[in-house]
Amino acid sequence: MTNTIQILSIEKTGKESSLQKEHNNKSIKIINGYFFSRNLDDQKFTKISKLISNDVSQTILTKKNVNKVLSSYSNFNWVVEIKFLPGVTDNIATTVKEIIKDNLKSSFKSFELGSTKIILIKGRKEDITKISKNEANPLIQTIKIYPFKKYLNNFKKNQFKIEKVKLPKKKYSKKEINLNISDHQLSLIGKLGIEENDKSRRGTLGLDLESLKAIRNYFFTIKRKPTDVEIETLAQTWSEHCKHKIFSAKIDDIHEGIFKKYIKGATEKIIQLRKDNFCVSLFTDNAGGIEFNKDWIICHKVETHNTPSALDPFGGAITGIVGVNRDCLGFGKGAKPIANTYAYYLADPNKNYQLYRQKNSKDPMLPANFIAKGIISGVRVGGNCSGIPTPQGNVYFDDRFAGKPLVFCGTVGIIPKKIKGKLSHKKKANPGDIILMAGGRVGKDGIHGATFSSEELDPNSPVSAVQIGDPITQKKMSDVIIRELRDENLYSSITDNGAGGLSSSIGEMAKESGGFIVNLEKIPLKYNGLYPWEIWVSESQERMTLAVPPKNVKKVIKRFNARGVEATIIGKFIKKEKAIVKYNKTEILNLDMEFLHEGYPKLNLKTSFPKIKKEKKKIIKKSSLIDKLHKLLSSPNIVSKEFIATQYDHEVQATSIIKPLQGEGRVFGNATAIKPLFDDEKSIALSQAAYPQYAETNPYDMAGCSIDTAYKNLIVSGANSKKIAILDNFCWCSSDEPDRLYQLKEAAKACYDYAVAYQTPFISGKDSMFNDFKGFDKTGKSVKISIPPTLLISSIGVVNKISHLTKIIPDDGDILLVLGATRNELQDSVYSKIIGYEKSKNPDVNSKNALRTYRNFEKANKLGIINSAIGIDLGGIGIAVTKMAIASKKGFTIDLKLKNKISVDQFLFSETQSRILVSLKKNKLANFKKIFKASDYTIIGKCTGSDIIEFKDNKKIMRGKISDFAKSYKQKIKGL
Amino acid sequence: MNVLVLSGYGINCENETLHAFEVVGFKGKIIHINDLIQNPKQLNNYQVFAIPGGFSYGDDTGSGNAMAKKIMTNLYDQLTDFSLKDKLIIGICNGCQILINLGLVPSLNKKDPEVALIENKSGSYECRWVDIKVSNNKSPWLKNISTLNLPVAHQEGQFMIPINLLKSIKANNLIGLQYINHHKKLAKGQFPFNPNGSKDDIAALTNQNGNVLAMMPHPERAFYHYHIPNWQSKTLKKFADGYKIFMNAKKFFA
Repeated sequence: MTNTIQILSIEKTGKESSLQKEHNNKSIKIINGYFFSRNLDDQKFTKISKLISNDVSQTILTKKNVNKVLSSYSNFNWVVEIKFLPGVTDNIATTVKEIIKDNLKSSFKSFELGSTKIILIKGRKEDITKISKNEANPLIQTIKIYPFKKYLNNFKKNQFKIEKVKLPKKKYSKKEINLNISDHQLSLIGKLGIEENDKSRRGTLGLDLESLKAIRNYFFTIKRKPTDVEIETLAQTWSEHCKHKIFSAKIDDIHEGIFKKYIKGATEKIIQLRKDNFCVSLFTDNAGGIEFNKDWIICHKVETHNTPSALDPFGGAITGIVGVNRDCLGFGKGAKPIANTYAYYLADPNKNYQLYRQKNSKDPMLPANFIAKGIISGVRVGGNCSGIPTPQGNVYFDDRFAGKPLVFCGTVGIIPKKIKGKLSHKKKANPGDIILMAGGRVGKDGIHGATFSSEELDPNSPVSAVQIGDPITQKKMSDVIIRELRDENLYSSITDNGAGGLSSSIGEMAKESGGFIVNLEKIPLKYNGLYPWEIWVSESQERMTLAVPPKNVKKVIKRFNARGVEATIIGKFIKKEKAIVKYNKTEILNLDMEFLHEGYPKLNLKTSFPKIKKEKKKIIKKSSLIDKLHKLLSSPNIVSKEFIATQYDHEVQATSIIKPLQGEGRVFGNATAIKPLFDDEKSIALSQAAYPQYAETNPYDMAGCSIDTAYKNLIVSGANSKKIAILDNFCWCSSDEPDRLYQLKEAAKACYDYAVAYQTPFISGKDSMFNDFKGFDKTGKSVKISIPPTLLISSIGVVNKISHLTKIIPDDGDILLVLGATRNELQDSVYSKIIGYEKSKNPDVNSKNALRTYRNFEKANKLGIINSAIGIDLGGIGIAVTKMAIASKKGFTIDLKLKNKISVDQFLFSETQSRILVSLKKNKLANFKKIFKASDYTIIGKCTGSDIIEFKDNKKIMRGKISDFAKSYKQKIKGL
Repeated sequence: MNVLVLSGYGINCENETLHAFEVVGFKGKIIHINDLIQNPKQLNNYQVFAIPGGFSYGDDTGSGNAMAKKIMTNLYDQLTDFSLKDKLIIGICNGCQILINLGLVPSLNKKDPEVALIENKSGSYECRWVDIKVSNNKSPWLKNISTLNLPVAHQEGQFMIPINLLKSIKANNLIGLQYINHHKKLAKGQFPFNPNGSKDDIAALTNQNGNVLAMMPHPERAFYHYHIPNWQSKTLKKFADGYKIFMNAKKFFA
């Protein structure tokens, strides 16, 4: 008899060897354990062990062999046992249960099991504690450390335990909340949550006093007290995350708010000017849609998952990526996800910031490298497991992300324009339609996610706000929707369950029909004991909500079930504009839809001009040009991110056509392309850009540079300039402070100006306004760390022909040219950070000049005049030239006899925008000159095909070997 | 000529795999494993059984294991029968892991799996293009091919084979593909030419008849010339190397 199955890999696993390396300890071994709620007799033990292990590569530990087997590896003295906390999604356990049930059929019913990671170590206890801290997250896992002897004893005596979720048995009785209380008490409800009978609080609602007063007034008019569910629902629906109150607020003299004036305003202006069918579905749906070709629409959405990723980097990132996948599934009648994008803004993984949420070194922020690694793996597992390629991304490091990492996850989807003759991007839940919830079950995970992501991260941030992703459940659900339901028009509307859970998704969708009635007791739960309000707002993942005409319901449920996916009728849509929720026939929510969606008090914001922090003069470190190039190449923001590109499957779906690693020398590119249809040569080019480093100096220019770079990268890749759309993701800090709001207004204004100038509509966007950390340093001093305002612009464009796609590899004898003028713009550049700077300014964008460059480039490229090209960005011409050489493994001579009043360093390292490095075959120069005016380009050298880059100025020749540059460029990022 | 392409539970390369077969002349269908379990007789309508790549069951309990156990419980005899006929089976990436876990390859002792695919030596997922050579010309899948340039994308692609078995695998000529370096010599375990540290640089194994091929690289992702990295700087034909494998299947039945 035993209650555990423990499995050991015979050979050292990758994980073991990386642990051994990291901790400089060869005596580390990992066991995959499963703890059962029931004892297994010998026969079942043997049978189940065989089902979940591999005879060839693994050994199964038994009471008899455990001592002998383990002592053959080392003389272990400590054990770290890592389990999921009760109630946290345990994907491995789910799979094991399925295997057992399928194979043993009825003979092994009703049992629970949990997967466990057991690490055996020989070492000192201090080291063990350190290892356990690096391997587990106390927010979602329990960590036990005990002596190896005890482990052996546990084994003999069947003392491995699985803890079930034990929620106090509670009978629900309708809870009414008295809001006729003092302002102070009222604001406590907003900040700490509704008070339970035992005086404990449920956790933040993120409602300010004004909102609570609006709720009080509403219920005063309808002459009754609100229920807890009503207050929770209003908190979700009115959260900054869902309503974007700051973007819609009156700000200074902008009555309509910056979203309407600058973002939507830009798009409306562009649509008015363009008069074509490019923009299909904007701002209203889960993602933004544009025309791909005459039969297909593509959609794109980018989300952030910052706060969850700060608390649980792996879980936060995986739910970030699978969550945004669902935004595509919820676009129109359901678009198939065809590409993922990512952008991470992180603290230096090699630094120990030692930040705490509470005084006296309590409640620490996770270490920066733990966060970075967790985020990178979260998106890997989410993307790879879902079979969606992840070609496009970037990573940027700055100390100011120590309090909160920024995790941007994006997805591109594709959908036929028409489904059974009807426009696929139009959907409408009709009165009488059944509300069907499909996918995963509901648990306590993610409670209060929407309300707390709108708040600063402080000691009251709720721990249950973490969600764990289960990409396989989602993949199964997604396959049914796209392949077996959508094209038969079996449902009238569909949306994703994201922030705010059902309260949000049903609340939004019901706008299409009028209102809704939901029966909460029908909703399948992961475990019993959830309060109705918890079921209603839970953010458990992998669920979609569908509006299904009654006649199709049976068929739809049957198709889901046949693929191992749960689907449940939970209510219906009605015509009356009422939101009604019942729990066992008791009505616990009854609100007017109008109040639910529009009843929140509108903000009235004022901005003030911020103090501009001037970059301190730094002494320029004297070193040779070659040395400077090496320093820049190996700096974290320029160094290759190849290690991410190779762990993200970018080839699945067989669409990758411009890959993330470019040239024989594998340079990490800033744009990628996929060809989504087998029968059309049109491709989709993707890129993104953000310049948080420019934000404090000039937020207007910061936004301008982001749009310019994201646009330029697509032009350089070969996209059609008339078929480019952009997405805005604002990640701001302290958005209740007038100077931060000033920066926001400036950035938004630039969004309007440049989007209109470039004719690139905003098709979707999102904002996250409070990316601040308030806590303490190791001395107990209180600290606030705010991210630099960051605007990520994602760009998506259509490439008409395969032959338009450019390359990074020049040919021997090619002439090298820089398109666009270079100015002394070193402020806030990588160069100024590493080498130092004197007097300079930050880059800005002259859209007229930029567009001239881009139009001419596009023309020349279509005519086959351009042989190779790369956009010039961080590190300026110097880095662009070096990257081209590394990519092509071909040397250049670069002429630095400069005519203008600009120094060699300014010329080579300025980050002046709107420039492209190109190479031409000599015989194309005449044709090139027919397109480009002499003042619009500079010839800087030629491709020699040797193995060195040679820089010549008036005095001397400086040489660097390409292989040496490649070594610097491919250096490992310390701490990762 | 009909091909059945398996789907379900996280398999995810079925569309591009079916496309590759269709382009070379097969008729085909993507069939969910649950539908196949419901009606296993439909296997009779097909000459090729393809298990595409993916992440069945999220790789929990080891890549390919859970799906292999589902097949073993519900379809084992039918699939074994299929493999003993004049028909073809291919498993690509996750499909390869499933075939190995089923013991259909190398199938020297019948039943039980004899080989394991374990985690890459690098410890990380590897998505990259590799050069491989064909080591076994008797498999219909690999006839008249000498080398191939294909992408791999996996976390667990390292073949682990007990020494004695390796000897008989070699003696029976069951190594299908091996990783080579840029001098066209065996990679000898050297990364990144051998992306996972596989013993003897093994990238694919076959059964004794050669009609069952379990390969880690993805031929369906190297089908057209524009799939090849840096294709713009090369002079290429319409199809890339992966095409040859699918063409061989067609030729087998022609």
